[in-house]
Amino acid sequence: MRNLTLSKAVHRLILVATTICILFPIYWMLVLAFTKLGMSRSVEGFYPASLTFNNFTQLFTERPMLRWLLNSALVASISSALSLLIGTSAGYALSRLHFRGAGLIMILILVTQMMPPTAIVVPIYDLFRQLGMLNTIQGVTLGHISLVIPLAVWMTKGYFDSIPLDLENAARIDGCTRLAAFWHVALPLASPGLIVVFIYGFVTSWHEFLFARTLVSQQELWTGAVGLGSFRGEFFTLFEPQMAASVVFSVPVVLVFMFLQRRLISGGLAGGVR
Amino acid sequence: MVPRSIPLDARHEARPKPALVRFRELFSDGMGFPALMVAPALLTLAVVIGFPIVKGLILSFQMIKLTSPATGGDFTLYNYVKMFSDKNVLASVWRSCVYMSGSVLGATFVGLIAALLTRRAFMGRSLFRTFFILPWAIPAVATTLVWGVMYDANFGVMNRIVQLLPGINSNIEWLIDRDYVLGSLIAVQIWGDFPVAYLFLLAGLQAIPEELYEAANVDGANGWQQFWHITAPQLRYIVTVTIILLGILSFRSFAVIHILTGGGPNRRTETLVIQTYNAAFRSFDFSYGAALGILSLIFSVVIVALYIRLTLGREMRGAAAT
Repeated sequence: MRNLTLSKAVHRLILVATTICILFPIYWMLVLAFTKLGMSRSVEGFYPASLTFNNFTQLFTERPMLRWLLNSALVASISSALSLLIGTSAGYALSRLHFRGAGLIMILILVTQMMPPTAIVVPIYDLFRQLGMLNTIQGVTLGHISLVIPLAVWMTKGYFDSIPLDLENAARIDGCTRLAAFWHVALPLASPGLIVVFIYGFVTSWHEFLFARTLVSQQELWTGAVGLGSFRGEFFTLFEPQMAASVVFSVPVVLVFMFLQRRLISGGLAGGVR
Repeated sequence: MVPRSIPLDARHEARPKPALVRFRELFSDGMGFPALMVAPALLTLAVVIGFPIVKGLILSFQMIKLTSPATGGDFTLYNYVKMFSDKNVLASVWRSCVYMSGSVLGATFVGLIAALLTRRAFMGRSLFRTFFILPWAIPAVATTLVWGVMYDANFGVMNRIVQLLPGINSNIEWLIDRDYVLGSLIAVQIWGDFPVAYLFLLAGLQAIPEELYEAANVDGANGWQQFWHITAPQLRYIVTVTIILLGILSFRSFAVIHILTGGGPNRRTETLVIQTYNAAFRSFDFSYGAALGILSLIFSVVIVALYIRLTLGREMRGAAAT
Protein backbone atom coordinates (compact mmCIF):
# COMPACT_ATOMS: atom_id res chain seq x y z
CA MET A 1 0.00 0.00 0.00
CA ARG A 2 2.81 2.43 0.92
CA ASN A 3 4.50 1.42 -2.30
CA LEU A 4 1.43 2.48 -4.24
CA THR A 5 1.23 5.96 -2.70
CA LEU A 6 4.95 6.47 -3.31
CA SER A 7 4.59 5.61 -6.99
CA LYS A 8 1.57 7.91 -7.12
CA ALA A 9 3.61 10.77 -5.68
CA VAL A 10 6.42 10.18 -8.19
CA HIS A 11 3.85 10.12 -11.00
CA ARG A 12 2.33 13.46 -9.90
CA LEU A 13 5.78 15.03 -9.50
CA ILE A 14 6.95 14.10 -13.00
CA LEU A 15 3.54 15.06 -14.40
CA VAL A 16 3.59 18.54 -12.89
CA ALA A 17 7.24 19.19 -13.81
CA THR A 18 6.66 18.12 -17.43
CA THR A 19 3.52 20.23 -17.64
CA ILE A 20 5.26 23.38 -16.39
CA CYS A 21 8.05 23.02 -18.97
CA ILE A 22 5.55 22.42 -21.75
CA LEU A 23 3.15 25.19 -20.85
CA PHE A 24 5.64 27.98 -20.20
CA PRO A 25 5.90 29.24 -23.82
CA ILE A 26 2.09 29.28 -23.99
CA TYR A 27 1.90 31.25 -20.76
CA TRP A 28 4.37 33.66 -22.29
CA MET A 29 2.26 33.95 -25.41
CA LEU A 30 -0.72 34.94 -23.24
CA VAL A 31 1.42 37.49 -21.38
CA LEU A 32 2.45 39.06 -24.71
CA ALA A 33 -1.11 38.99 -26.08
CA PHE A 34 -2.25 41.17 -23.17
CA THR A 35 0.73 43.52 -23.44
CA LYS A 36 0.29 46.98 -24.99
CA LEU A 37 1.26 47.39 -28.64
CA GLY A 38 5.04 47.56 -29.04
CA MET A 39 5.79 46.94 -25.37
CA SER A 40 6.68 43.22 -25.41
CA ARG A 41 10.42 43.88 -25.25
CA SER A 42 10.06 45.81 -22.06
CA VAL A 43 8.38 43.00 -20.10
CA GLU A 44 10.66 42.26 -17.14
CA GLY A 45 10.51 39.36 -14.73
CA PHE A 46 7.92 36.68 -15.31
CA TYR A 47 4.67 38.66 -15.17
CA PRO A 48 2.95 41.04 -17.56
CA ALA A 49 3.84 44.68 -16.95
CA SER A 50 0.61 46.12 -18.30
CA LEU A 51 -2.74 44.57 -19.20
CA THR A 52 -4.89 45.51 -22.19
CA PHE A 53 -7.73 43.87 -24.12
CA ASN A 54 -7.23 46.12 -27.14
CA ASN A 55 -5.30 43.49 -29.09
CA PHE A 56 -8.30 41.19 -28.93
CA THR A 57 -11.06 43.67 -29.70
CA GLN A 58 -9.14 45.04 -32.69
CA LEU A 59 -9.03 41.58 -34.27
CA PHE A 60 -12.76 41.65 -34.80
CA THR A 61 -13.19 45.35 -35.54
CA GLU A 62 -10.22 45.95 -37.86
CA ARG A 63 -9.74 42.56 -39.52
CA PRO A 64 -12.15 39.89 -40.88
CA MET A 65 -11.11 37.47 -38.14
CA LEU A 66 -14.55 35.87 -37.90
CA ARG A 67 -14.62 35.24 -41.65
CA TRP A 68 -11.16 33.64 -41.53
CA LEU A 69 -12.20 31.42 -38.64
CA LEU A 70 -15.29 30.25 -40.53
CA ASN A 71 -13.21 29.49 -43.64
CA SER A 72 -10.76 27.50 -41.54
CA ALA A 73 -13.57 25.60 -39.84
CA LEU A 74 -15.07 24.70 -43.21
CA VAL A 75 -11.79 23.60 -44.82
CA ALA A 76 -10.50 21.74 -41.76
CA SER A 77 -13.66 19.80 -40.99
CA ILE A 78 -14.36 18.76 -44.58
CA SER A 79 -10.77 17.86 -45.40
CA SER A 80 -10.22 15.87 -42.20
CA ALA A 81 -13.50 13.99 -42.57
CA LEU A 82 -12.78 13.11 -46.20
CA SER A 83 -9.17 12.13 -45.42
CA LEU A 84 -10.42 9.87 -42.66
CA LEU A 85 -12.92 8.23 -45.00
CA ILE A 86 -10.46 7.74 -47.86
CA GLY A 87 -7.61 6.77 -45.52
CA THR A 88 -9.62 4.29 -43.47
CA SER A 89 -10.88 2.45 -46.53
CA ALA A 90 -7.35 2.11 -47.91
CA GLY A 91 -5.87 1.29 -44.49
CA TYR A 92 -8.44 -1.44 -43.95
CA ALA A 93 -7.81 -2.97 -47.36
CA LEU A 94 -4.05 -2.93 -46.78
CA SER A 95 -4.40 -4.47 -43.34
CA ARG A 96 -6.97 -7.17 -44.00
CA LEU A 97 -7.04 -8.07 -47.68
CA HIS A 98 -3.69 -9.47 -48.66
CA PHE A 99 -3.04 -8.59 -52.24
CA ARG A 100 -0.09 -8.27 -54.56
CA GLY A 101 1.73 -4.95 -54.38
CA ALA A 102 0.32 -3.86 -51.01
CA GLY A 103 3.80 -3.15 -49.64
CA LEU A 104 4.71 -1.13 -52.72
CA ILE A 105 1.50 0.91 -52.43
CA MET A 106 2.32 1.71 -48.80
CA ILE A 107 5.77 2.98 -49.78
CA LEU A 108 4.48 4.97 -52.77
CA ILE A 109 1.88 6.67 -50.58
CA LEU A 110 4.62 7.73 -48.20
CA VAL A 111 6.96 8.96 -50.93
CA THR A 112 4.48 11.68 -51.91
CA GLN A 113 5.19 13.42 -48.59
CA MET A 114 8.95 13.52 -49.04
CA MET A 115 9.31 16.29 -51.58
CA PRO A 116 9.67 19.55 -49.65
CA PRO A 117 6.46 21.53 -50.32
CA THR A 118 8.54 24.61 -51.11
CA ALA A 119 10.01 22.72 -54.09
CA ILE A 120 6.67 21.75 -55.66
CA VAL A 121 4.50 24.69 -54.78
CA VAL A 122 5.02 26.26 -58.22
CA PRO A 123 3.86 23.15 -60.18
CA ILE A 124 0.95 22.77 -57.74
CA TYR A 125 -0.10 26.35 -58.42
CA ASP A 126 0.01 25.62 -62.18
CA LEU A 127 -2.04 22.47 -61.73
CA PHE A 128 -4.76 24.17 -59.71
CA ARG A 129 -4.91 26.99 -62.24
CA GLN A 130 -5.54 24.45 -65.01
CA LEU A 131 -8.17 22.71 -62.88
CA GLY A 132 -9.85 26.07 -62.32
CA MET A 133 -9.54 25.62 -58.57
CA LEU A 134 -7.53 28.71 -57.70
CA ASN A 135 -9.30 31.03 -55.25
CA THR A 136 -11.77 28.38 -54.17
CA ILE A 137 -12.39 26.75 -50.81
CA GLN A 138 -12.57 23.36 -52.59
CA GLY A 139 -9.05 23.85 -53.94
CA VAL A 140 -7.54 24.40 -50.51
CA THR A 141 -9.55 21.48 -49.14
CA LEU A 142 -8.25 19.16 -51.85
CA GLY A 143 -4.68 20.31 -51.15
CA HIS A 144 -5.05 19.59 -47.45
CA ILE A 145 -6.60 16.16 -48.06
CA SER A 146 -3.49 15.18 -49.98
CA LEU A 147 -1.34 16.16 -47.01
CA VAL A 148 -3.28 14.01 -44.54
CA ILE A 149 -4.15 10.85 -46.52
CA PRO A 150 -0.71 9.18 -46.32
CA LEU A 151 -0.61 9.31 -42.57
CA ALA A 152 -4.28 8.29 -42.34
CA VAL A 153 -3.55 5.18 -44.42
CA TRP A 154 -0.46 4.18 -42.44
CA MET A 155 -2.04 4.80 -39.05
CA THR A 156 -5.38 3.12 -39.71
CA LYS A 157 -3.56 0.10 -41.14
CA GLY A 158 -1.65 -0.15 -37.87
CA TYR A 159 -4.77 0.11 -35.73
CA PHE A 160 -6.63 -2.49 -37.81
CA ASP A 161 -3.58 -4.79 -37.62
CA SER A 162 -3.80 -4.71 -33.84
CA ILE A 163 -7.41 -5.98 -33.83
CA PRO A 164 -7.51 -9.80 -33.87
CA LEU A 165 -8.76 -11.09 -37.21
CA ASP A 166 -10.66 -13.85 -35.36
CA LEU A 167 -13.30 -11.34 -34.28
CA GLU A 168 -14.17 -10.42 -37.85
CA ASN A 169 -13.97 -14.01 -39.02
CA ALA A 170 -16.41 -14.99 -36.30
CA ALA A 171 -18.82 -12.32 -37.54
CA ARG A 172 -18.44 -13.54 -41.11
CA ILE A 173 -19.09 -17.15 -40.15
CA ASP A 174 -22.24 -15.85 -38.51
CA GLY A 175 -23.27 -14.59 -41.96
CA CYS A 176 -21.97 -11.00 -42.12
CA THR A 177 -20.57 -9.74 -45.41
CA ARG A 178 -17.06 -8.35 -45.36
CA LEU A 179 -18.49 -4.83 -45.39
CA ALA A 180 -20.78 -5.62 -42.45
CA ALA A 181 -17.97 -7.23 -40.49
CA PHE A 182 -15.88 -4.12 -41.11
CA TRP A 183 -18.71 -1.81 -40.09
CA HIS A 184 -19.91 -3.62 -36.98
CA VAL A 185 -16.70 -5.18 -35.67
CA ALA A 186 -13.47 -3.58 -36.91
CA LEU A 187 -14.63 0.04 -37.07
CA PRO A 188 -15.84 0.40 -33.45
CA LEU A 189 -12.72 -1.34 -32.14
CA ALA A 190 -10.38 0.91 -34.10
CA SER A 191 -12.25 4.08 -33.15
CA PRO A 192 -9.64 5.55 -30.75
CA GLY A 193 -7.14 5.37 -33.62
CA LEU A 194 -9.59 6.85 -36.10
CA ILE A 195 -10.35 9.75 -33.76
CA VAL A 196 -6.63 10.47 -33.49
CA VAL A 197 -6.34 10.48 -37.28
CA PHE A 198 -9.28 12.90 -37.48
CA ILE A 199 -7.65 15.22 -34.92
CA TYR A 200 -4.38 15.05 -36.84
CA GLY A 201 -6.14 15.94 -40.08
CA PHE A 202 -8.09 18.78 -38.50
CA VAL A 203 -5.04 20.38 -36.91
CA THR A 204 -2.86 19.91 -39.99
CA SER A 205 -5.44 21.67 -42.15
CA TRP A 206 -6.16 24.33 -39.51
CA HIS A 207 -2.49 25.35 -39.47
CA GLU A 208 -1.41 24.76 -43.04
CA PHE A 209 0.02 27.92 -44.53
CA LEU A 210 1.80 27.30 -47.83
CA PHE A 211 -1.08 25.78 -49.86
CA ALA A 212 -3.67 28.08 -48.31
CA ARG A 213 -1.53 31.13 -49.10
CA THR A 214 -0.52 30.12 -52.62
CA LEU A 215 -3.84 28.80 -53.91
CA VAL A 216 -5.97 31.71 -52.67
CA SER A 217 -5.31 35.40 -53.18
CA GLN A 218 -8.66 36.93 -52.18
CA GLN A 219 -8.56 38.06 -48.59
CA GLU A 220 -12.13 36.98 -47.82
CA LEU A 221 -11.30 33.39 -48.79
CA TRP A 222 -8.18 33.18 -46.58
CA THR A 223 -8.01 30.65 -43.81
CA GLY A 224 -7.01 31.81 -40.34
CA ALA A 225 -3.41 30.60 -40.76
CA VAL A 226 -2.94 32.94 -43.71
CA GLY A 227 -4.67 35.73 -41.79
CA LEU A 228 -2.19 35.24 -38.94
CA GLY A 229 0.68 35.61 -41.37
CA SER A 230 -0.70 38.96 -42.53
CA PHE A 231 0.32 40.59 -39.24
CA ARG A 232 3.89 40.15 -40.35
CA GLY A 233 4.66 43.11 -42.51
CA GLU A 234 7.61 43.69 -44.79
CA PHE A 235 9.20 46.14 -42.38
CA PHE A 236 7.74 45.43 -38.98
CA THR A 237 5.40 42.98 -37.32
CA LEU A 238 2.32 43.90 -35.32
CA PHE A 239 3.57 41.53 -32.69
CA GLU A 240 1.15 41.80 -29.78
CA PRO A 241 -2.01 41.72 -31.98
CA GLN A 242 -0.57 38.67 -33.73
CA MET A 243 -0.17 36.92 -30.38
CA ALA A 244 -3.79 37.78 -29.54
CA ALA A 245 -4.90 36.42 -32.93
CA SER A 246 -2.93 33.23 -32.29
CA VAL A 247 -4.68 32.75 -28.97
CA VAL A 248 -8.11 33.24 -30.56
CA PHE A 249 -7.18 31.02 -33.49
CA SER A 250 -6.08 28.17 -31.18
CA VAL A 251 -9.28 28.04 -29.14
CA PRO A 252 -11.33 25.99 -31.67
CA VAL A 253 -8.60 23.35 -31.92
CA VAL A 254 -8.48 23.03 -28.14
CA LEU A 255 -12.28 22.72 -28.03
CA VAL A 256 -12.30 20.02 -30.73
CA PHE A 257 -9.66 18.10 -28.82
CA MET A 258 -11.40 18.45 -25.46
CA PHE A 259 -14.61 17.20 -27.04
CA LEU A 260 -12.96 14.22 -28.74
CA GLN A 261 -10.40 13.17 -26.14
CA ARG A 262 -13.06 11.58 -23.94
CA ARG A 263 -13.59 9.09 -26.73
CA LEU A 264 -9.91 8.18 -26.69
CA ILE A 265 -10.55 5.52 -24.04
CA SER A 266 -9.94 1.88 -24.80
CA GLY A 267 -12.35 0.36 -27.25
CA GLY A 268 -14.19 -2.63 -25.90
CA LEU A 269 -11.38 -5.00 -26.93
CA ALA A 270 -10.93 -6.60 -23.52
CA GLY A 271 -12.96 -9.75 -23.30
CA GLY A 272 -13.82 -9.89 -26.99
CA VAL A 273 -11.27 -12.57 -27.81
CA ARG A 274 -12.06 -14.91 -24.94
CA MET B 1 2.52 -10.29 -32.24
CA VAL B 2 -0.25 -9.59 -34.70
CA PRO B 3 -2.36 -12.67 -35.26
CA ARG B 4 -2.64 -13.50 -38.91
CA SER B 5 -4.87 -16.40 -39.76
CA ILE B 6 -5.45 -17.57 -43.31
CA PRO B 7 -7.75 -15.13 -45.13
CA LEU B 8 -11.19 -16.51 -45.75
CA ASP B 9 -11.01 -15.62 -49.46
CA ALA B 10 -8.54 -18.45 -50.09
CA ARG B 11 -11.27 -21.06 -49.58
CA HIS B 12 -13.69 -20.19 -52.33
CA GLU B 13 -11.81 -19.26 -55.44
CA ALA B 14 -11.79 -22.40 -57.57
CA ARG B 15 -14.87 -22.50 -59.83
CA PRO B 16 -16.12 -19.71 -62.13
CA LYS B 17 -19.21 -17.81 -60.99
CA PRO B 18 -22.15 -16.07 -62.69
CA ALA B 19 -21.76 -12.36 -63.45
CA LEU B 20 -24.24 -11.18 -60.84
CA VAL B 21 -22.46 -13.08 -58.09
CA ARG B 22 -19.14 -11.73 -59.37
CA PHE B 23 -20.50 -8.18 -59.19
CA ARG B 24 -21.76 -8.70 -55.67
CA GLU B 25 -18.41 -10.12 -54.66
CA LEU B 26 -16.78 -6.92 -55.75
CA PHE B 27 -18.20 -5.57 -52.52
CA SER B 28 -17.46 -8.58 -50.38
CA ASP B 29 -14.51 -10.62 -51.65
CA GLY B 30 -11.84 -10.90 -54.32
CA MET B 31 -9.46 -8.38 -55.90
CA GLY B 32 -11.98 -5.76 -56.99
CA PHE B 33 -12.77 -4.86 -53.42
CA PRO B 34 -9.25 -3.93 -52.27
CA ALA B 35 -8.71 -2.04 -55.53
CA LEU B 36 -11.89 -0.07 -54.96
CA MET B 37 -10.91 0.73 -51.40
CA VAL B 38 -7.38 1.87 -52.18
CA ALA B 39 -8.18 3.77 -55.39
CA PRO B 40 -9.47 7.07 -53.91
CA ALA B 41 -6.33 7.51 -51.80
CA LEU B 42 -3.99 6.70 -54.69
CA LEU B 43 -5.88 8.84 -57.19
CA THR B 44 -5.92 11.94 -54.96
CA LEU B 45 -2.23 11.65 -54.19
CA ALA B 46 -1.26 10.97 -57.80
CA VAL B 47 -3.06 14.08 -59.06
CA VAL B 48 -2.29 16.59 -56.31
CA ILE B 49 1.25 15.57 -55.35
CA GLY B 50 2.51 12.98 -57.85
CA PHE B 51 1.90 15.09 -60.92
CA PRO B 52 3.64 18.20 -59.48
CA ILE B 53 6.59 16.03 -58.44
CA VAL B 54 6.97 14.87 -62.06
CA LYS B 55 6.73 18.50 -63.22
CA GLY B 56 9.38 19.39 -60.65
CA LEU B 57 11.59 16.63 -62.02
CA ILE B 58 11.23 18.05 -65.55
CA LEU B 59 11.86 21.57 -64.24
CA SER B 60 15.11 20.42 -62.63
CA PHE B 61 16.48 19.43 -66.08
CA GLN B 62 15.70 22.86 -67.50
CA MET B 63 16.94 26.39 -66.88
CA ILE B 64 14.02 28.43 -65.64
CA LYS B 65 15.19 31.54 -63.79
CA LEU B 66 13.14 34.66 -63.21
CA THR B 67 16.19 36.89 -62.91
CA SER B 68 18.04 35.92 -66.06
CA PRO B 69 16.81 36.28 -69.65
CA ALA B 70 19.15 33.56 -70.98
CA THR B 71 16.96 30.72 -69.76
CA GLY B 72 14.87 28.10 -71.47
CA GLY B 73 13.19 24.74 -71.45
CA ASP B 74 15.92 22.77 -73.22
CA PHE B 75 17.28 19.65 -71.54
CA THR B 76 20.34 20.36 -69.44
CA LEU B 77 22.26 18.75 -66.60
CA TYR B 78 23.52 22.14 -65.46
CA ASN B 79 21.56 22.19 -62.17
CA TYR B 80 22.79 18.77 -61.12
CA VAL B 81 26.41 19.58 -62.00
CA LYS B 82 26.05 22.80 -60.01
CA MET B 83 24.49 20.92 -57.10
CA PHE B 84 27.18 18.27 -56.81
CA SER B 85 30.00 20.80 -57.04
CA ASP B 86 28.37 23.02 -54.39
CA LYS B 87 30.04 22.40 -51.03
CA ASN B 88 27.08 23.97 -49.24
CA VAL B 89 24.81 21.19 -50.46
CA LEU B 90 26.72 18.47 -48.63
CA ALA B 91 26.79 20.66 -45.53
CA SER B 92 23.01 21.17 -45.77
CA VAL B 93 22.42 17.43 -46.07
CA TRP B 94 24.47 16.88 -42.92
CA ARG B 95 22.63 19.66 -41.05
CA SER B 96 19.30 18.16 -42.11
CA CYS B 97 20.43 14.80 -40.67
CA VAL B 98 21.44 16.35 -37.35
CA TYR B 99 18.27 18.45 -37.13
CA MET B 100 16.05 15.52 -38.03
CA SER B 101 17.60 12.97 -35.65
CA GLY B 102 17.67 15.43 -32.75
CA SER B 103 14.05 16.43 -33.25
CA VAL B 104 12.74 12.90 -33.79
CA LEU B 105 14.52 11.38 -30.79
CA GLY B 106 13.50 14.23 -28.53
CA ALA B 107 9.87 14.40 -29.65
CA THR B 108 9.36 10.62 -29.47
CA PHE B 109 10.90 10.48 -26.00
CA VAL B 110 8.84 13.37 -24.58
CA GLY B 111 5.71 12.07 -26.33
CA LEU B 112 6.16 8.59 -24.87
CA ILE B 113 6.72 9.93 -21.35
CA ALA B 114 3.62 12.13 -21.63
CA ALA B 115 1.53 9.23 -23.00
CA LEU B 116 2.61 6.89 -20.18
CA LEU B 117 1.89 9.62 -17.61
CA THR B 118 -1.71 10.19 -18.75
CA ARG B 119 -2.58 6.64 -19.74
CA ARG B 120 -4.52 5.43 -16.71
CA ALA B 121 -7.37 7.25 -15.02
CA PHE B 122 -6.66 9.82 -12.31
CA MET B 123 -8.27 13.06 -11.16
CA GLY B 124 -7.77 15.73 -13.82
CA ARG B 125 -6.45 13.41 -16.52
CA SER B 126 -8.43 15.04 -19.32
CA LEU B 127 -7.04 18.42 -18.27
CA PHE B 128 -3.45 17.18 -18.54
CA ARG B 129 -4.21 15.50 -21.84
CA THR B 130 -5.37 18.84 -23.17
CA PHE B 131 -2.25 20.55 -21.77
CA PHE B 132 -0.04 18.09 -23.62
CA ILE B 133 -1.49 18.82 -27.04
CA LEU B 134 -1.52 22.61 -26.57
CA PRO B 135 1.90 23.26 -28.20
CA TRP B 136 0.53 21.63 -31.32
CA ALA B 137 -2.89 23.32 -31.10
CA ILE B 138 -1.33 26.74 -31.59
CA PRO B 139 -0.12 27.48 -35.14
CA ALA B 140 3.62 27.02 -35.61
CA VAL B 141 3.98 30.53 -37.05
CA ALA B 142 2.75 31.99 -33.75
CA THR B 143 4.60 29.71 -31.35
CA THR B 144 7.81 30.17 -33.28
CA LEU B 145 7.51 33.94 -32.94
CA VAL B 146 7.03 33.55 -29.18
CA TRP B 147 10.18 31.43 -28.99
CA GLY B 148 11.96 34.15 -30.94
CA VAL B 149 11.04 36.72 -28.28
CA MET B 150 11.96 34.28 -25.51
CA TYR B 151 15.36 33.59 -27.08
CA ASP B 152 16.23 37.30 -27.44
CA ALA B 153 19.72 37.66 -25.98
CA ASN B 154 19.08 40.96 -24.19
CA PHE B 155 15.36 41.09 -23.40
CA GLY B 156 14.36 37.43 -23.66
CA VAL B 157 12.88 35.51 -20.78
CA MET B 158 14.99 32.43 -21.59
CA ASN B 159 18.14 34.00 -20.19
CA ARG B 160 16.19 35.01 -17.08
CA ILE B 161 15.12 31.38 -16.60
CA VAL B 162 18.55 29.94 -17.21
CA GLN B 163 20.11 32.44 -14.83
CA LEU B 164 17.95 31.08 -12.03
CA LEU B 165 20.33 28.13 -12.17
CA PRO B 166 23.57 28.48 -10.18
CA GLY B 167 26.72 29.22 -12.15
CA ILE B 168 25.18 30.98 -15.15
CA ASN B 169 25.49 34.76 -15.02
CA SER B 170 26.06 36.00 -18.55
CA ASN B 171 23.46 36.30 -21.32
CA ILE B 172 23.53 33.51 -23.89
CA GLU B 173 22.95 34.50 -27.53
CA TRP B 174 20.65 31.58 -28.29
CA LEU B 175 20.13 32.28 -31.97
CA ILE B 176 23.52 33.80 -32.77
CA ASP B 177 26.09 31.76 -30.87
CA ARG B 178 27.26 29.00 -33.23
CA ASP B 179 27.42 26.45 -30.41
CA TYR B 180 23.82 27.02 -29.35
CA VAL B 181 21.83 27.94 -32.45
CA LEU B 182 21.09 24.48 -33.89
CA GLY B 183 20.20 23.15 -30.44
CA SER B 184 17.89 26.12 -29.83
CA LEU B 185 16.03 25.39 -33.06
CA ILE B 186 15.79 21.66 -32.33
CA ALA B 187 14.27 22.48 -28.92
CA VAL B 188 11.52 24.50 -30.64
CA GLN B 189 10.89 21.69 -33.13
CA ILE B 190 10.66 19.08 -30.33
CA TRP B 191 8.31 21.29 -28.34
CA GLY B 192 6.03 21.75 -31.34
CA ASP B 193 6.10 18.13 -32.59
CA PHE B 194 5.99 15.97 -29.48
CA PRO B 195 2.17 16.22 -29.18
CA VAL B 196 1.89 14.31 -32.46
CA ALA B 197 3.91 11.45 -30.97
CA TYR B 198 1.91 11.82 -27.76
CA LEU B 199 -1.44 11.43 -29.54
CA PHE B 200 -0.48 8.41 -31.63
CA LEU B 201 1.26 6.63 -28.77
CA LEU B 202 -1.67 7.34 -26.44
CA ALA B 203 -4.08 5.75 -28.93
CA GLY B 204 -1.65 2.86 -29.37
CA LEU B 205 -1.47 2.31 -25.61
CA GLN B 206 -5.26 2.24 -25.42
CA ALA B 207 -5.34 -0.65 -27.86
CA ILE B 208 -3.19 -2.90 -25.64
CA PRO B 209 -5.51 -5.33 -23.82
CA GLU B 210 -5.55 -4.65 -20.08
CA GLU B 211 -5.54 -8.41 -19.42
CA LEU B 212 -1.89 -8.62 -20.43
CA TYR B 213 -0.99 -6.35 -17.51
CA GLU B 214 -3.31 -8.17 -15.13
CA ALA B 215 -1.59 -11.44 -15.99
CA ALA B 216 1.84 -9.83 -15.54
CA ASN B 217 0.81 -8.49 -12.15
CA VAL B 218 -0.22 -11.97 -11.06
CA ASP B 219 3.19 -13.23 -12.18
CA GLY B 220 4.84 -10.49 -10.10
CA ALA B 221 6.43 -8.52 -12.97
CA ASN B 222 7.50 -4.99 -11.95
CA GLY B 223 6.68 -1.82 -13.86
CA TRP B 224 9.86 -1.79 -15.89
CA GLN B 225 9.47 -5.46 -16.89
CA GLN B 226 5.86 -4.81 -17.89
CA PHE B 227 6.93 -1.86 -20.04
CA TRP B 228 9.71 -3.83 -21.69
CA HIS B 229 7.85 -7.10 -22.29
CA ILE B 230 4.27 -5.91 -22.95
CA THR B 231 4.11 -2.20 -23.82
CA ALA B 232 7.20 -1.96 -26.03
CA PRO B 233 6.47 -4.92 -28.35
CA GLN B 234 2.77 -3.99 -28.65
CA LEU B 235 3.67 -0.42 -29.62
CA ARG B 236 6.30 -1.40 -32.17
CA TYR B 237 4.37 -0.61 -35.36
CA ILE B 238 2.88 2.63 -34.02
CA VAL B 239 6.29 3.83 -32.77
CA THR B 240 7.83 3.07 -36.15
CA VAL B 241 5.17 4.99 -38.06
CA THR B 242 5.36 7.85 -35.54
CA ILE B 243 9.11 8.07 -36.03
CA ILE B 244 8.72 8.08 -39.82
CA LEU B 245 6.10 10.84 -39.59
CA LEU B 246 8.16 12.93 -37.18
CA GLY B 247 11.19 12.41 -39.41
CA ILE B 248 9.28 13.70 -42.43
CA LEU B 249 7.84 16.62 -40.44
CA SER B 250 11.21 17.73 -39.07
CA PHE B 251 13.04 17.12 -42.35
CA ARG B 252 10.52 19.32 -44.14
CA SER B 253 10.42 21.79 -41.26
CA PHE B 254 10.30 25.25 -42.70
CA ALA B 255 8.52 27.70 -40.40
CA VAL B 256 10.76 27.21 -37.34
CA ILE B 257 14.08 27.75 -39.12
CA HIS B 258 12.81 30.30 -41.62
CA ILE B 259 11.31 32.57 -38.95
CA LEU B 260 14.01 32.24 -36.27
CA THR B 261 17.24 32.34 -38.28
CA GLY B 262 16.44 32.08 -42.02
CA GLY B 263 19.36 29.64 -42.25
CA GLY B 264 21.94 31.86 -40.55
CA PRO B 265 24.11 32.81 -38.83
CA ASN B 266 26.63 32.15 -41.58
CA ARG B 267 24.58 29.18 -42.89
CA ARG B 268 24.88 27.35 -39.56
CA THR B 269 21.21 26.34 -39.70
CA GLU B 270 20.69 26.08 -43.46
CA THR B 271 19.04 22.69 -43.95
CA LEU B 272 18.26 21.22 -47.34
CA VAL B 273 14.69 22.55 -47.26
CA ILE B 274 15.80 26.07 -46.34
CA GLN B 275 18.40 25.97 -49.11
CA THR B 276 15.69 24.81 -51.56
CA TYR B 277 13.47 27.72 -50.53
CA ASN B 278 16.26 30.26 -50.75
CA ALA B 279 17.23 29.05 -54.23
CA ALA B 280 13.66 29.21 -55.54
CA PHE B 281 12.23 32.26 -53.78
CA ARG B 282 15.27 34.42 -52.95
CA SER B 283 17.37 33.83 -56.06
CA PHE B 284 14.27 32.98 -58.16
CA ASP B 285 16.18 30.07 -59.70
CA PHE B 286 13.21 27.70 -59.95
CA SER B 287 15.16 24.99 -61.75
CA TYR B 288 17.94 24.85 -59.17
CA GLY B 289 15.29 24.84 -56.43
CA ALA B 290 13.58 21.90 -58.16
CA ALA B 291 16.89 20.02 -58.44
CA LEU B 292 17.49 20.51 -54.71
CA GLY B 293 13.93 19.32 -54.13
CA ILE B 294 14.62 16.14 -56.08
CA LEU B 295 17.77 15.63 -53.98
CA SER B 296 15.65 16.00 -50.80
CA LEU B 297 13.17 13.48 -52.19
CA ILE B 298 15.87 10.90 -52.99
CA PHE B 299 17.55 11.51 -49.65
CA SER B 300 14.36 10.95 -47.64
CA VAL B 301 13.30 7.93 -49.69
CA VAL B 302 16.67 6.26 -49.00
CA ILE B 303 16.51 7.03 -45.26
CA VAL B 304 12.90 5.89 -44.87
CA ALA B 305 13.43 2.75 -46.98
CA LEU B 306 16.44 1.77 -44.84
CA TYR B 307 14.50 2.48 -41.68
CA ILE B 308 11.45 0.49 -42.76
CA ARG B 309 13.68 -2.43 -43.82
CA LEU B 310 15.31 -2.43 -40.40
CA THR B 311 12.12 -2.20 -38.37
CA LEU B 312 9.15 -3.48 -40.37
CA GLY B 313 10.94 -5.67 -42.92
CA ARG B 314 8.97 -8.78 -42.02
CA GLU B 315 5.53 -7.16 -42.04
CA MET B 316 6.09 -5.29 -45.29
CA ARG B 317 7.43 -8.34 -47.12
CA GLY B 318 4.54 -10.35 -45.73
CA ALA B 319 2.06 -7.83 -47.08
CA ALA B 320 3.77 -7.67 -50.47
CA ALA B 321 4.16 -11.43 -50.96
CA THR B 322 0.66 -12.71 -50.26
